[in-house]
Amino acid sequence: MSTGAIETVEPVVPSDFKPGAVRGTDKPPGRSEIGIALIFILPALIGFLVFYLYPFIRGFYFSLTRYNLLGTPTFIGFDNFTRLFQDPLFWNAILVTVEYVVINIVLQTILAVAIAVLMHRLTQSTVVRGLILLPFLISNVIAAMLWFWMLDYQIGLVNEFIAFLGLDRIAFFGDSAWAIPTIAIVNVWRHMGYTALLVFAGLQTIPNYVYEAAAVDGSTEWKSFWRITMPLLRPVLALVLVITVTGSFQVFDTVAVTTRGGPGNASRVIQYYIYQKGFTEGQFGYASALCVILFIILATVAVIQLRMLRAGESDLA
Amino acid sequence: MATTTAPSRDLAATEPEPARKRINLGRLGAWIAMIILILITLFPFYWMLRTAFSTTKSLFSEPASLLPVDFTTGAFQRVLGLATPAEAVAEGGSGAAVNFWLYLRNSVVFATLATAGQVFFCALAAYAFARLRWPGRDIVFFLFLTALMIPPIFTMLPNFILIKNLGLINTFPGLILPYFLMTPFAIFFLRQFFLGISREIEEAAKLDGAGHWRIFFRIVLPMSTAPIVTLFILTFINMWNEYFWPLLVGGGENVRVLTLAIGIFRSQTPQGSPDWAGLMAAVLVAALPILILFFAFAKKVVNSIGFSGLK
Amino acid sequence: MARMRKKLGAVLVSAAALSLTLSACGGGGGAEGGGGGGGGEAIDTSTASGEVSYWLWDANQLPAYQACADKFKAANPNVSVKITQYGWDDYWAKLTNGFIAGDAPDVFTDHLAKYPEFVTQQQLVALDETLAKDGYNVDQYQPGLADLWKGQDGKRYGLPKDFDTVAIFYNKKLVSDGGVKEADLQNLQWNPQDGGTYEKMIAHLTVDESGKRGDEPGFDKSKIKVYGLGLDGGSGGGLGQTQWSMYTGSNNWQFTDKNPWGTHYNYDQPAFQQTIGWFKSLIDKGYMPSVEATTGQGSSDIFAAGKYAMITNGSWQTNAFFDLKGIEVGLAPTPVGPSGKRASMYNGLADSIWIGAKNKPGAAKWVEFLGSPDCQNIVGEQAVVFPAIPEATEKAEAAWKAKGVDTNAFTVQVKDKTTFLFPITDYASQIEGIMEPAMDNVLTGKAPPESLTEANNQVNQLFG
Repeated sequence: MSTGAIETVEPVVPSDFKPGAVRGTDKPPGRSEIGIALIFILPALIGFLVFYLYPFIRGFYFSLTRYNLLGTPTFIGFDNFTRLFQDPLFWNAILVTVEYVVINIVLQTILAVAIAVLMHRLTQSTVVRGLILLPFLISNVIAAMLWFWMLDYQIGLVNEFIAFLGLDRIAFFGDSAWAIPTIAIVNVWRHMGYTALLVFAGLQTIPNYVYEAAAVDGSTEWKSFWRITMPLLRPVLALVLVITVTGSFQVFDTVAVTTRGGPGNASRVIQYYIYQKGFTEGQFGYASALCVILFIILATVAVIQLRMLRAGESDLA
Repeated sequence: MATTTAPSRDLAATEPEPARKRINLGRLGAWIAMIILILITLFPFYWMLRTAFSTTKSLFSEPASLLPVDFTTGAFQRVLGLATPAEAVAEGGSGAAVNFWLYLRNSVVFATLATAGQVFFCALAAYAFARLRWPGRDIVFFLFLTALMIPPIFTMLPNFILIKNLGLINTFPGLILPYFLMTPFAIFFLRQFFLGISREIEEAAKLDGAGHWRIFFRIVLPMSTAPIVTLFILTFINMWNEYFWPLLVGGGENVRVLTLAIGIFRSQTPQGSPDWAGLMAAVLVAALPILILFFAFAKKVVNSIGFSGLK
Repeated sequence: MARMRKKLGAVLVSAAALSLTLSACGGGGGAEGGGGGGGGEAIDTSTASGEVSYWLWDANQLPAYQACADKFKAANPNVSVKITQYGWDDYWAKLTNGFIAGDAPDVFTDHLAKYPEFVTQQQLVALDETLAKDGYNVDQYQPGLADLWKGQDGKRYGLPKDFDTVAIFYNKKLVSDGGVKEADLQNLQWNPQDGGTYEKMIAHLTVDESGKRGDEPGFDKSKIKVYGLGLDGGSGGGLGQTQWSMYTGSNNWQFTDKNPWGTHYNYDQPAFQQTIGWFKSLIDKGYMPSVEATTGQGSSDIFAAGKYAMITNGSWQTNAFFDLKGIEVGLAPTPVGPSGKRASMYNGLADSIWIGAKNKPGAAKWVEFLGSPDCQNIVGEQAVVFPAIPEATEKAEAAWKAKGVDTNAFTVQVKDKTTFLFPITDYASQIEGIMEPAMDNVLTGKAPPESLTEANNQVNQLFG
């Protein structure tokens, strides 16, 4: 049973109970199930090859060309990439996007975990669950339009309230210092319920007896959260973080509806810059090169996250 | 198994114990936090409702009013296709027709089929990644995962051209195809949850002579009701709100989905103003089916304590 | 994942161009030419039959064009027109995709900002031969409009549909509250040094929260209740159509060395930079809201909330302003500048035929009909836009007068010939990509007007 200290919780379980993922340690080697595996993944594999891999390879090819979508591509080797590294707007885009991602993810994750825990502990009510998820039901675009109006400097409700309090109005979308944080918060509003739902699903996987054992040892709610819940949530947190960070880096809709990269270049995030170069200005080859770089950044970040969070394991093992 | 019957304090996820003399400050604080969060989440919806019952033309004469400005149900009439063009224009809307019920049907067909296919095929694949052993498994999984990071402009155009070459523009198959077989999110999501299933049960089933198919359908799937329902709901919402792909591929009336129809209420001219009342009404009406779906299945999102199958 | 796709973009909400342009480094490969190429052999419209697909973006004009289509069918029973409407935000995306994928419409509404790029991409059919063969009168339009649609090769790529100019919209109540008579607004004068009677009027109509006007002592420019002059959404980038072009245009300044098809921009000239400097000073003095303050809802909405006494805006917004409930709106022409005349940018739409159109004879016949009085009169009577044929323009003016709207402030610019053309050059999207942040920075005070010289150099480098 427990050793009396809350540090190590040793639930009494069957010896090979491993709710977490196991990386190939307990099955006798040599028995590859590749045949059956192939059948299981075949439909998804086809989808992946046709709708993801092929376009990506094609896109990668375009990044080595000069192409305006209506003519034929002209091969120019790595010129797009050398141009990219010398492009101040590219570096600006990276900077601005990273700022956005940090604000968005930190806020969103904290809130989502808090909401999920609250939902888990406080109430089983589906009404509350539904209410929390509500913002996710409206599309990115509409949410952006709505907040663009409510936060409007001159006639938005929020600013009218601020003025009513006697304070100075804030140009949420117009002030270059506020633009990115505002966009980040709008997206937190929309996504926190969704992220909370994911975390909540993960909370469900933690068996109750773990908590009960901790309670017996005198752990408080707060301590149990940090010592038990968080570590055991690791696989799900990994999922949530990879998904949200990847999605966050690709923010586009909100910017397109509200600031369109401005004021100046203060909110010209990388995806918007790509779109501007590729479609508006017809430099699809260059835009493709930007996409490839973005892809590499995202893949690297994901690998780091998965490693750091040891997403394939669980502390219950 | 623990035999102690420790007094189940707040730690157990069961109903709170009634009749406790000591008011739990922590719990109170938690409830206050919860309520504040809910209010912040919900206020914009109230604003949407208030706007939906206002008249677009008068809307900004009282920009901060919490009540509908110049109350009217005209917006909802426009959305449901009940208003004549003249009435619509009189209130500030455009004169375009909205074939609401048809678009609703199209959205339902599109979202349901795309979600059903996606969840099913991704469950199959996730099972292979989580429970089966084969060389290169984790590498292939990571490859699938990287599909998350492929920029949309890479995929939109080639997929559009492919669908066009297959002659599937303005058809449901054309709309559904890119989503039907897999999305990286669904595979990632289900794989993480399948990883958590106990091997014991699987082993037991194998000893009984069950093949992988049976294990999948009889054991893994039923045990994963919560994540699968969650995924279904989230994917359905995403499909319901899809805009750009249906714009490219499904402009025809017979496949036009609700999100496209909402485009009618957006600004028609550069730097113009949207038909706010109509737009808000349209968004609320479009969100209704998803809400209904959610509440119908919400109970399933909560897993029972017997998740691990061991208790 | 679906969320990724959504993030790209349903919404290409942007007044910025969505069209394609050759990359800065010069030509790509051969463009896609459909049959016949842009060379424009005459299309035989007498063989017109079948269905013609037509796209437009303004849903407000849909009834008028449907009526045109019905009339067309009555006159040409073999041909029918199918009209599809996509909102402005989606229109160019769909069109561009259509070009790429090969299913663009036969005929579509074209815009001056986009068409140069379409011409370079060889996506448009040259109409000259066809029009000549049918004996079409290309001189029946308002002067100057038809020539806007001639490409650099001198060929005609669209038939004018309508035009727009800019004027001052004012809030009648706020104006009379200031003790100003509407007649006083009709002949204002401005100059970049002290703003002239124009700036005095703006100052007088600006009211701060304690009720003090902009020309009274004790005026607090940090707490404004009503702005004398509003700002239509942003800095205006390199065009400033509704923001500042009416000032630069009346200060003896032109966008390019020649128009259309200039190759050298003049943003470095003192006349331009002084005007912008004066424009910015209005913000500094508190008479006009800043770019930050106007990043948000459209100017007609803020006008509706009673925050602007006056604002310069385009004729396409006429109904948006006049339909506002609770506000009485008036129109005044733009002020007269140092050049001794007033100025307004002159923009227009036309209908073009896609090079890959499947039904070219039908398309040509429809385009000719669209450009004729038969159709334009119908459009004029709806009072939504000013059609390009003078007779139809008058019908529009009359229709508006019947609704109580006096559109003289817009049409006087055409009558007095004080309009200047929308600048038509290559690389429009890239120029906007350079100028918008540059102008943003100037009007938000981050850079002085002289910084526009550097931007101008970048722009001119595009032309080699």
